[in-house]
Amino acid sequence: MTDHRYWLFTFAIGGALLILSLQLFRLQITEQQDLSSIARGNALRDIRIIPARGSIYDRNGTLMVDNHPTYTITLTPRNFDRAQIPLLADHLGVEDSIVTQQLEEAQAWNPYRPSPSFSNVPFERYARILEDAYRLKGVGWETGQQRHYSTNARASHILGYTGEITKAELSSGSYASADTALYRQGDILGRTGIEKGYEPWLRGVPGVARSWVNVHGLEVMKYAQGQSDQPPRQVYDIHLALDHRVQTLAESLFVNKRGAAVALDPNTGGIIALVSKPDYPLELFSGDLSPQAWQDLNVHPDTPLYNRASMNLMPPGSTWKPFMALLALSEGLLGDRGAEATIFCNGYHPVGQGRFFRCLGSYGHQTVLEAIKNSCNTFFFELAARMDLSVFKQYANRFGFGVETPTDIREQTAGLIPDSAYFNNTRSYWGKGDVMNLGVGQGHMGVTPLQLAKYTAALANGGTLHAPRMVSYLVNTQTGEKMDPPGLPDPTPLGIDTAYVNLVRRGMRLVMEEGTGRASQIPDIPSAGKTGTAQAPRNLRDHSVFIMFAPFDDPQIALAVQCENTGDGSRCAAPIGSLMAEQYLKGEIPSSWRTDVRMDRAMTAISQPLSSENQ
Amino acid sequence: MRRWYKNLDFPILLVWVALCICGLIAIYSATHGDAQEYLLNTVQRNFQRQIVWLFICVGALSVIMLLPIRLLIRLTPWIYLASMALLVIALVFGREVSGARSWVYFGPFGFQSSELAKVGTLLMAAFILSSRKGGIESTALPMVGVIALPAILVILQNDLGTALVFVGLIPILWLWAGIRLRVVGLLIIFPIAGYLTILDWTIALGFTAVVGIIAWFTTRSPAWVTFGVLAGVITLGVASFALNAVFQPHQVARIESFLNPEADEYRAGVGFHLVQSKAALGSGGWFGEGHMKGSQTQGRYIPEQSTDFVFSVIGEEWGFVGSILVLLLFAILMLRLVRLAREIEHPFGSIVAAGTAGIFLIHISVNIGMVLGLLPVIGIPLPFLSYGGSALLTNTTLMGLALAAYMRRSEFAMYI
Repeated sequence: MTDHRYWLFTFAIGGALLILSLQLFRLQITEQQDLSSIARGNALRDIRIIPARGSIYDRNGTLMVDNHPTYTITLTPRNFDRAQIPLLADHLGVEDSIVTQQLEEAQAWNPYRPSPSFSNVPFERYARILEDAYRLKGVGWETGQQRHYSTNARASHILGYTGEITKAELSSGSYASADTALYRQGDILGRTGIEKGYEPWLRGVPGVARSWVNVHGLEVMKYAQGQSDQPPRQVYDIHLALDHRVQTLAESLFVNKRGAAVALDPNTGGIIALVSKPDYPLELFSGDLSPQAWQDLNVHPDTPLYNRASMNLMPPGSTWKPFMALLALSEGLLGDRGAEATIFCNGYHPVGQGRFFRCLGSYGHQTVLEAIKNSCNTFFFELAARMDLSVFKQYANRFGFGVETPTDIREQTAGLIPDSAYFNNTRSYWGKGDVMNLGVGQGHMGVTPLQLAKYTAALANGGTLHAPRMVSYLVNTQTGEKMDPPGLPDPTPLGIDTAYVNLVRRGMRLVMEEGTGRASQIPDIPSAGKTGTAQAPRNLRDHSVFIMFAPFDDPQIALAVQCENTGDGSRCAAPIGSLMAEQYLKGEIPSSWRTDVRMDRAMTAISQPLSSENQ
Repeated sequence: MRRWYKNLDFPILLVWVALCICGLIAIYSATHGDAQEYLLNTVQRNFQRQIVWLFICVGALSVIMLLPIRLLIRLTPWIYLASMALLVIALVFGREVSGARSWVYFGPFGFQSSELAKVGTLLMAAFILSSRKGGIESTALPMVGVIALPAILVILQNDLGTALVFVGLIPILWLWAGIRLRVVGLLIIFPIAGYLTILDWTIALGFTAVVGIIAWFTTRSPAWVTFGVLAGVITLGVASFALNAVFQPHQVARIESFLNPEADEYRAGVGFHLVQSKAALGSGGWFGEGHMKGSQTQGRYIPEQSTDFVFSVIGEEWGFVGSILVLLLFAILMLRLVRLAREIEHPFGSIVAAGTAGIFLIHISVNIGMVLGLLPVIGIPLPFLSYGGSALLTNTTLMGLALAAYMRRSEFAMYI
């Protein structure tokens, strides 16, 4: 063998291996960054760990809302033995054909990955499948969570429901952009009430687990032994001001009625109860809400989804008289003698042009105190006739009427308090009569039960407006750190002389002891209140309205109740309000003849049904 | 007579053992671990089956070592005929595996006839070259015939890659057997010009011009200049024509995808192999991610990873250092074989040893070139590393023949 051929061959081998080595160097050393980032892009997946949604407790620490597990059975077609279809179908309680169909859908999606085929499987069936897992290869399970409600109180409009985020919401970016809570398809978010208003705190910040995944998208191993994983955090449990027993009682008293009730803690603004009837069971939204059920809720003539407590507008009726009294006393409308001054009631008040507005009786000379106790219309017609409409609006706004209430209830309406501009815009002719009507809380005005309750609370506590709040405080589930509900303003004084407020309070106490509230007294607890009857349009029965606070000397609860189309205030709203207050203050309703009277009145009152003609 | 093992070449045996162990480790990593269950059942057992094949290979190696070379020479034509018969049987009755109809079954045992044919063909070519009466040019026709026959049969089996291995043997064997270097040079123009045409036809044209100039300065013969330039131009023309007018789009994709595997038209298909393979190598870095720890390997991102793409396991999990060590083992193996070939005095044994080195060189260059994204995706295995019993047995047999010839290197001379 000639030597140069040996060397040629040797060099050919060496050359080929040199080229390979150089390319190897290029890929593994020079381009390492780029290529390994491709590799990471292939194989690294961040799996979010959605924390358990925060729980909701009432003011006494009673659990109202938490999460219960849901079970989903998955199929991995590649590992599944078709001979086991009957067994699986039997365990699931479905036809074989349904399992076959799910299997085919899973096969079409991805034969290697577990496909969520049967959701919301009852626990007993899930447990049977678990026991037979060794026979059911390719059958897996995932657990999820759904809201679970533990008390008898529905509190639908307070708690609110949750739902899966929609494609439209995702693409709008408003949820995706907040970097504390990145949402993806399939995520649950609060839709109404507390669930919506406190969504960021209930949801918290999802954790991240980083894993290497294989070409089929399944986890192979943890990335960096899980060192860079982040646990979920910043989940808060919510403690409500709500008393679930008062809430439950109020809900049950509203049987056969439309209406709303709001009870506040006058010292904090905390919402002790908030009822809007009719309502709906939140459990409807926990599983898969059927489109039919959703449709029914939306078209129901009594509008169960609508939060009457913070949105329903109706005139306050005579519950407005304490306000008018405070306005008159502060503005000197009664002249130099103030509280001592009287107005003569002969049973009516002239409006002009020969027309008269009637009073319920002929009360004679009435002081402010007497006028409130007797609910004398003539007195308050006269005050309204004496007042300036712009001052009226200014005072009403100061008490929180006609403006949105600072609160953590999201859905609310501002209400209607007219001024001359309003009448000029809406009426071709208006006059003294329209203004006088406002003096007794009728006519062109609308207030919500929430606003009335807040006003009552201010009367109860001597003149301080607290922002009504559903939430007392939040507790971080990891650190135990307590937090006040964000975004609520500090209490503000009404700026009304305390002497005037006390005078009005005395008047309201007399209402309960000698006036229209007599039948609705709480045994052994002195209270103050005012009934009202709001005229309903279109020949419908009047609305029943009631405000109250108790105990008189150290008020712990202030409430407002509206019953739609049930008649006058003493008939429906007053007994309901009184029973709610008694339940709150005593923790029970002891049986007595007074209880029987109130119960009877409350339960027998019925809202005149709304038909398509009178709506 | 000296003791037989005095003449046994232990370095090659050690390298062989080392390479087989490397192969086993890589195959294990590619077929075990958390994602194992997502592989086909047959692939899951590749590691165990490769071990069984290794035992068979040790047995075959022992038999070959005992084989008198004279007997081998005498049997060569029959071995060749048997190989060709196997190819035909596979073509007619065989089972199709990964698109190639090259498998023959004896009971449960399957053989890839195109692999075994490499042994018969090399022996036959060595037989022709060593037993020639006239000048080396007189072997041209029989050589081409002896190699073209299996090549064509293998092409008919739809395995172009293996056919290229047969054809590639011609210049190597002729170089060793002493043909004029200009002929070897001329033959090498074809694959180079073809490769450059795939890259860019203008480069191929430039290469042809350079060939003409070199041909003039080395031969001073207008005829050889013409041959050289013609070889370049014809290759360029045929290759361009084939790429643009003859091949189906999926075939063109297979050939051209390595140039830009990330392009949209390749990414979902054949380019996927290459993107993933490169990503795996790149994430290996200097020292690799460690055995069973490569994200791409363990995630099964690279298809055919225990077979044709086994080098990507080594690249990812053992890093640059490990890859270079494997390349060094290959270098020792091949250079040592060429060294043995030089020492063997009988032309037949010498050519078999050199041809063995040549076959290994083609496999290693083409396979690793493919894995590194330098060459089109041509499915031929990496000797001793890729899973595959037939290939392992064939390569071990070839190596054994070279070792046997070397062991009896001086015995040969007396029969000349």
